[in-house]
Amino acid sequence: MSAAAPEFSLRPTGRLRRRRIVNRIMESLGTLAALLAVAVLGLVIVSVAVRAAPALNLDFFTKPPNIFGGPGGGISSAIIGSILIVGIATAMALPLGVLIAIYLTEFAPRAVAGPIQLVLDVLNGLPTIITGIFVYGLLVIGHTQSAYAGAFALAIVMLPLVARAAQETLLLVPSALREGALALGVSRWRSVLGVILPTTFGGILTGGVLAMARAAGETAPLLFTCSIFNPAVSTDVTHALPNIPVLIFTYSEQPDQSLHEQAWGAALVLMAFVLVASLTAKALLARSRRKLGQ
Amino acid sequence: MTTQNVTIPVDVGPVEIAQERKAPAPAQREIVFDIRDLEVNYGPTTAISGVNLEIYKHYITAMIGPSGCGKSTFIRCLNRMNDLIPGAKIDGQVLYQGQDIYGDGVDPVEVRRRIGMVFQRANPFPKSIYDNVAWGPRVLGMKKDLDERVEKALTSAALWNEVKDRLKKSGLSLSGGQQQRLCIARAIAIEPDVLLLDEPASALDPIATTAIEELMHELKKDYTLVIVTHNMQQAARVADLTAFFSLEVGENRRTGVLVEYDSTDKLFTNPVDKRTEDYVTGRFG
Amino acid sequence: MRTTFQDELNLLETTLHEEGALVLRALRGALNALEQRDHELADEVIAFDDDVDERYVKVVEGIQSLLARQTPVASDLRLVLAMLHINLHLERMADYCVTIAKLSKLVPEVEPSPRFIEGFEDMGARCEEMTRIAMDAFADRDLARAEVLVELDELVDRANRRVVERILELGGAARMREYGLRMVLVSRALERIGDHAVDIGEQVAYLLTGEFREFTDASHPASREA
Repeated sequence: MSAAAPEFSLRPTGRLRRRRIVNRIMESLGTLAALLAVAVLGLVIVSVAVRAAPALNLDFFTKPPNIFGGPGGGISSAIIGSILIVGIATAMALPLGVLIAIYLTEFAPRAVAGPIQLVLDVLNGLPTIITGIFVYGLLVIGHTQSAYAGAFALAIVMLPLVARAAQETLLLVPSALREGALALGVSRWRSVLGVILPTTFGGILTGGVLAMARAAGETAPLLFTCSIFNPAVSTDVTHALPNIPVLIFTYSEQPDQSLHEQAWGAALVLMAFVLVASLTAKALLARSRRKLGQ
Repeated sequence: MTTQNVTIPVDVGPVEIAQERKAPAPAQREIVFDIRDLEVNYGPTTAISGVNLEIYKHYITAMIGPSGCGKSTFIRCLNRMNDLIPGAKIDGQVLYQGQDIYGDGVDPVEVRRRIGMVFQRANPFPKSIYDNVAWGPRVLGMKKDLDERVEKALTSAALWNEVKDRLKKSGLSLSGGQQQRLCIARAIAIEPDVLLLDEPASALDPIATTAIEELMHELKKDYTLVIVTHNMQQAARVADLTAFFSLEVGENRRTGVLVEYDSTDKLFTNPVDKRTEDYVTGRFG
Repeated sequence: MRTTFQDELNLLETTLHEEGALVLRALRGALNALEQRDHELADEVIAFDDDVDERYVKVVEGIQSLLARQTPVASDLRLVLAMLHINLHLERMADYCVTIAKLSKLVPEVEPSPRFIEGFEDMGARCEEMTRIAMDAFADRDLARAEVLVELDELVDRANRRVVERILELGGAARMREYGLRMVLVSRALERIGDHAVDIGEQVAYLLTGEFREFTDASHPASREA
């Protein structure tokens, strides 16, 4: 069969060709923007790392600051302090946030859910300095600063984040699953506990990790509640403990150059924590999506 | 004014003979559900109205009818699943073994313990196959001999042989037809009296559909089955008794009503109501 | 809805009516061949049966295909089953016409009494009438008309029973005896044609009521009210 010359061409002409060009331009712009974002982050990481480099040595991670405030020493006490404070904050915020989310998605009548949702949204947008002042007034005045107070303030910051993440995960659970559990004659709470919640672990954990990353860097609340501390390593949570954000702040105001470098170092540690947390969160989310959607 | 052609079925003989089903003789027929003047409103819309019928023990009763005629609404009234829909209002009586399941003080959770449901799309839990079946009994306090219970349920659902070597695998790793049988096993593991099946095979391929239909014949011996199906031929193949629902269209309202309820044989060879005739012969517009 | 299906049903019914018309022609032809001793006509009637058989096969195959593909139920199912049976009855009726035509060729050249011949003409005419009524009742879905067939059949049956007496009256001459024997068979063929017409009527009743019921039963000869 001989091939006759086709009456149409599969190659674009005229308007179609223009559209293709426009398409290519938009694609390129998009790619450029993405690269820009990556570049910015890369720049931040690199510049912090460069400035922190001189301070990074074994002592930095294993020794507490010099007792007399001089050069040398490290930030081990701040690391431990931050871990404790953020840990306690998470222990407060995570269960509460999850419970609130469960209540909102599974049990609350529409009339009640709306206002509570609003409260959470407001809390989310509350400037952390106000949170700091509030907790100061509540827990610090008349007593002393303490890691507890700091944790409490951070918990307030974390709560709406955890609740929102848990809520979104819960909403992702197909209603067919709920129906299936209820149709077995199992009570609402047991269904949530036994079927719904287990499928949301991944999402909730993700939310928790991200909230932790956010809380680890909040400075304002800690300034009011946990900033006057003994630089030595301590685990006494009834008193103020050294912590990374406040340390970065105080060191940056010191005249000593080596302390500035340590501040950068601390910032690097914080950033590394946020990065690791974000990557972990992503991995957890992917895993939980796989389990739900399989 | 709706005319409802409801005859108490006298004879399911020919169908039994044809398919060698061993249903109890008419003289031993027991009423499981007695539904009186059932009406369901979702807000301002009346979904179904004036429904009266009886469901008999160890029979398969099918609900057929065009889309939106209320058959799913109806079946969900039988285990109070409509309670989950905000704004749903149920009037009338649904007597299960003589007790109104919508009566004062009745706990819907208890109702659903006895009246199980299988849904249109298989919805196994994201747990292992074993846990899918065992979770219900465990939570409801039937902890003794859990292994045997799981095996029995999976056997009754014609799934045991296919999964006995991989009980720890996720329920979601099964094929569509297997998942649906898993849901059936899950439902019967808690030993209900009645099994409600809302279009159980509509998402399945023909071979899986046949497997489910054969399964229903077997399950009939131990349970009472009520199924909703949009596939008339499936109702014809599977059900002993068939109820035809249709839509009454008024000015601004569309309400589902029960038009005719009789033995499947009668409905498909010589129905009484013209609406039924039009529907089963496919002349429904 | 289901226009293809409806068209198929209509086509089958039309074919059946064609078959009915052919049966009537065959019957008239056989009766004429008998009365006029027209052997050529008889041969035509015999050959004509092929047309009927052709339609018979068409209807059977059409019904087979319909059942396989369209799953008819309720009134459609009853119509298809009724058509299947009516088809069979028409084909048997046509075969009996062929029988009469064959007999008309074998009948010896004798002149029986006019009364005898009249009797046969009456029987023949009644069978024609019954065939027509049966097919009309089917076409119009008319139950009352179908039930009339019973009374007409009674007349045919009576005539058939009287034939034996009449034949004995014809006398003992050899050719007369042969004539008588052949005519008994003709009479029986006509009587069977009448029965088949009643059967068609019963199918019409089944189609309309959904009940299988014989109008009269050979083993329970109590006839219906006249």
